[in-house]
Amino acid sequence: MKEVIKAVGHVFIKMPQGLLVTLKHLFKKPVTLDYPRKKKPMMPRYRGRHYLERYDDGSERCVCCGLCAAACPADAIYMEPEEGEHGERRAKVYEINLLRCIFCGFCEEACPEEAIFLGQEYEFAADKRNSFLWTKEDMLVPHPRKDNPFKKIIRRVRKVYGVTEQ
Amino acid sequence: MADDIKDKVKTDVPTVTFTMDGQEVTVAKGTTILEAARSIGIHIPTFCWHPKLKPVGSCRMCYVEIEKWPKLAVSCVTEATDGMIVHTESDKVKRGRRATLEFLLLNHPLDCPTCDQGGECELQNLTFEHGIDDSRFDFQKNRFTSDTDNTVFDDKRIGPEIILNRNRCILCYRCVRANKEAFGEYDLGVYERGNIAEINAAPGQQVNSPFSGNLPEICPVGALTSVDWRYKMRVWLAGKTPSICPYSSSGSNILIYTDDNKNLIRRVTSRCNDDIDDGWLSDITRYGYQIANSEERLQTPLIKKEGKQVEATWDEALEVICNRFKEITEKKGKVCIGGLISPSLDNASLYCSSKLFRTVFNNNNIDFRTDYRMLPNKPDSYFGMLCNRSFRITDIDDSDVIVVLGSDLIREHHNEYLRIRKAVNFNNARVFSLNPYSVKSADVAQAEIVYNIGTDEIILVAIGLAAIEMGLVEQGLAQGFKEKVKLGSLAEATEVCGVSSDDVKLVARALAGDGKVSVIVGELITRSHGREAVASALFNLSRLLGIDKKGQMAVLARYANSRGAEKLGLLPIPTGAQVEMLKAMWGKFPDAEPQTTDAMLALMHKEEISGGLVLGGNPIMLYPDRQFITEGLEKLDFLVACDLFESETTELADVVLPMSSWAEYEGSYVNLEGCNQVACQAIKHIGQSKPAFEIIRLIAEKIGTSLFESDEQMATEIEQLLSCEPDNATPDNFVDVLPLSEEVDPDFPIPLCICDDPHHTGALTQKAPSLTNFTGEAYIEMSPDLAARLEVSEGQPVRVESPVGKIVMPVKVSKHIDNDVVIIPRNFSQIRVTSLLMRKKRVDRVRITKVDE
Repeated sequence: MKEVIKAVGHVFIKMPQGLLVTLKHLFKKPVTLDYPRKKKPMMPRYRGRHYLERYDDGSERCVCCGLCAAACPADAIYMEPEEGEHGERRAKVYEINLLRCIFCGFCEEACPEEAIFLGQEYEFAADKRNSFLWTKEDMLVPHPRKDNPFKKIIRRVRKVYGVTEQ
Repeated sequence: MADDIKDKVKTDVPTVTFTMDGQEVTVAKGTTILEAARSIGIHIPTFCWHPKLKPVGSCRMCYVEIEKWPKLAVSCVTEATDGMIVHTESDKVKRGRRATLEFLLLNHPLDCPTCDQGGECELQNLTFEHGIDDSRFDFQKNRFTSDTDNTVFDDKRIGPEIILNRNRCILCYRCVRANKEAFGEYDLGVYERGNIAEINAAPGQQVNSPFSGNLPEICPVGALTSVDWRYKMRVWLAGKTPSICPYSSSGSNILIYTDDNKNLIRRVTSRCNDDIDDGWLSDITRYGYQIANSEERLQTPLIKKEGKQVEATWDEALEVICNRFKEITEKKGKVCIGGLISPSLDNASLYCSSKLFRTVFNNNNIDFRTDYRMLPNKPDSYFGMLCNRSFRITDIDDSDVIVVLGSDLIREHHNEYLRIRKAVNFNNARVFSLNPYSVKSADVAQAEIVYNIGTDEIILVAIGLAAIEMGLVEQGLAQGFKEKVKLGSLAEATEVCGVSSDDVKLVARALAGDGKVSVIVGELITRSHGREAVASALFNLSRLLGIDKKGQMAVLARYANSRGAEKLGLLPIPTGAQVEMLKAMWGKFPDAEPQTTDAMLALMHKEEISGGLVLGGNPIMLYPDRQFITEGLEKLDFLVACDLFESETTELADVVLPMSSWAEYEGSYVNLEGCNQVACQAIKHIGQSKPAFEIIRLIAEKIGTSLFESDEQMATEIEQLLSCEPDNATPDNFVDVLPLSEEVDPDFPIPLCICDDPHHTGALTQKAPSLTNFTGEAYIEMSPDLAARLEVSEGQPVRVESPVGKIVMPVKVSKHIDNDVVIIPRNFSQIRVTSLLMRKKRVDRVRITKVDE
């Protein structure tokens, strides 16, 4: 008899209690996102895909000095310098292997020309290995462009590493 | 005796004792504090100081504190004195150095990321070490802009291979001083003064001396950078391999920087060896590596089929070689195969080819002297004796008298030229240059004697006669000397040579003095017909004046391993000791008639030699009778040529095998003083190429005999042969000097000398783009006087005719030449300069006419 009462109690008391929790959450704001229809805005310190910056006149900032490659703990960066038409130094080949990259941001720290930045994007899925080998053309920011989304990141990097604002 | 003098000097020098950082130091009087610190391993940072240059004290980086001195002292110009108490790491010193650095950085741009020196920059390292991270200088930095539009920043080409960036310059003057002191060039200087002082090339001039490549290397910052290394790669990514220069006979020690991903050599720098190269490299050594990277390199073996060379595999090629050589030996006997071997190959390759010919083909038809004319077919000549004398490069340094006979050192022995300059600068040596035409390298000479071409031995006789006339020698010796000489008096001899007797007396007096003597005999003698007469005259002179006892005299080996080739018995007639040793090692030695290059070619003409092997080198381009050698090689039934590139010689070959360059395998080379040095493997083999020694071993194996049981056996055999010291033999008494004179054909009045260009050597360097930037095409060098008589000016083409050929090439007027001798470099294959030559002539003479356009 005792067991019967216990079972009935579960059905009529405990179960509604549990369902009440579910019911409460039905009217709460959900913690998940409707990905991929909706995307989560990343924190300013998030380190996503790499960008190569340009000067205002459109010329590349990167001079292929090799410090990012030297700083890279995963050895993901490969570069070859060349002489540009005005005698300037620039990258002939600049490749980042995203499969090797651990997104530590050391390249960003090491860069003396403020040329490489880790942006906010995090979607790199692809079905071919070769497509993870990002070249200079993939990473260079478009020119001309309307706004500069890196201003905030540049300011943050400068602040972290004690560079005075120019 | 030489050693005695050295020891005396060492023990007699007064010393001083002082304290440095708590250590008691005793050094010779006159030593600077910096040198003393280096000798006990204390590091003092410097910019302007360089171990091979005189100190100037311009950078103020080497501050030290000396107790009781009011200010910090500049250690590179301060002599150590007794009882000094020196501190090199005190706070005051550190503050001084920090301040100096701050001043140096005032105008220095922060463009390290684009600077090629980044990573090996002394200013960068010291700034990092002293922790200077901020500048107190708020004003605009001084900026020099380039005059030309095709470069940004201040990058400016001041020579074919040098880029100057004046913004980065810290005015240490190392480059200007090295150029002046070590190389004797004045094409770089300091202009303006104060804040706008700048290093620049002399107005209207290019920095293009054969040593200009050293300037970027000694620049402590990135003010001078080389075009060759410009933006190629970061220095810390390069693999570094110690190696030996394959072009210079002194075997400059080099460091090869490689890009291991791409299997390419990126640059070559010095690996300073004080005993050999003194830290300086010639441009040939520095840029000559480019041939290894060349895209024109042979990649696969080629076999001639129906008149065309087609690509084949190694197996096919070896099969053909083996079958054809067997065919020839069956038909005509083993003596029918001859070999011309390049003396630039390593010991193993040379020894393997010697063993192949002597044990497998069982003959003595092997020679490495492919650019000599009229080599005698008999052993133990005086010239052979002269070649087998010991010579030490470092002994040039403390020589008091240096005589250079028949050599423009700047064209053939760059390192020795710099040594002689050093001896003049630091030891007040007296240099005498004896040449048939006035040479560029004679600028160090106290007296330059230009004698009539073809009278090399008579000028030596004249020196002896002058010494006798001045009463500088014993009567008995004088009698002996005079007996062997056909010329009675000094006046007679000087008239034949066309020199003034005063000059000859000057040389005679210097040679007869007590000072240490070095006599260097160069290529103009060794390659020529008159080498035997010169050797005998030199031995007579040595006996008369005792040169042998107070110094050294030698024929300098010409190629990277010429000396090694001699020691390994690659001459057709090895010395008696070598034959004994080879007999003991191999158990046999062929008794066939030995054949030198000339004799072999003659036999090829007679079709008595019908199989040939050319290993490296390009004999057709270098042999002093193009028609003779081309016809000889064409008459061969079967010719195998191994080389890096397609050449005139490989065109004639039935089988062409691709050979690896020196950087692609480990090999040892014997330099001109007999020092055996190892060059390590820097890059992997290009294409299907193989090292020369492997090719020879494969051929031998295919024929059916293995040359060696193991690699160790080869190494021990080579070691054993190399352990033979030069015997320094001299003739027992005065010997007959047999002057050779030729009749001059009045149709062809102008004597012609064939030399290397200062920026090229042999046949291969024309494939190095950097070297062709200096000199890209052939020219005929002549005196302004002759050019005026021919009514031609610089760059105009002239027709050069000899009895056997004619070629057309542009004129180069050289102010330093003052007689009618003309010079043509032999390094350019587009003009066939050797087609003008006749091997039986001692002096080639030509007729030059203006080409009317």
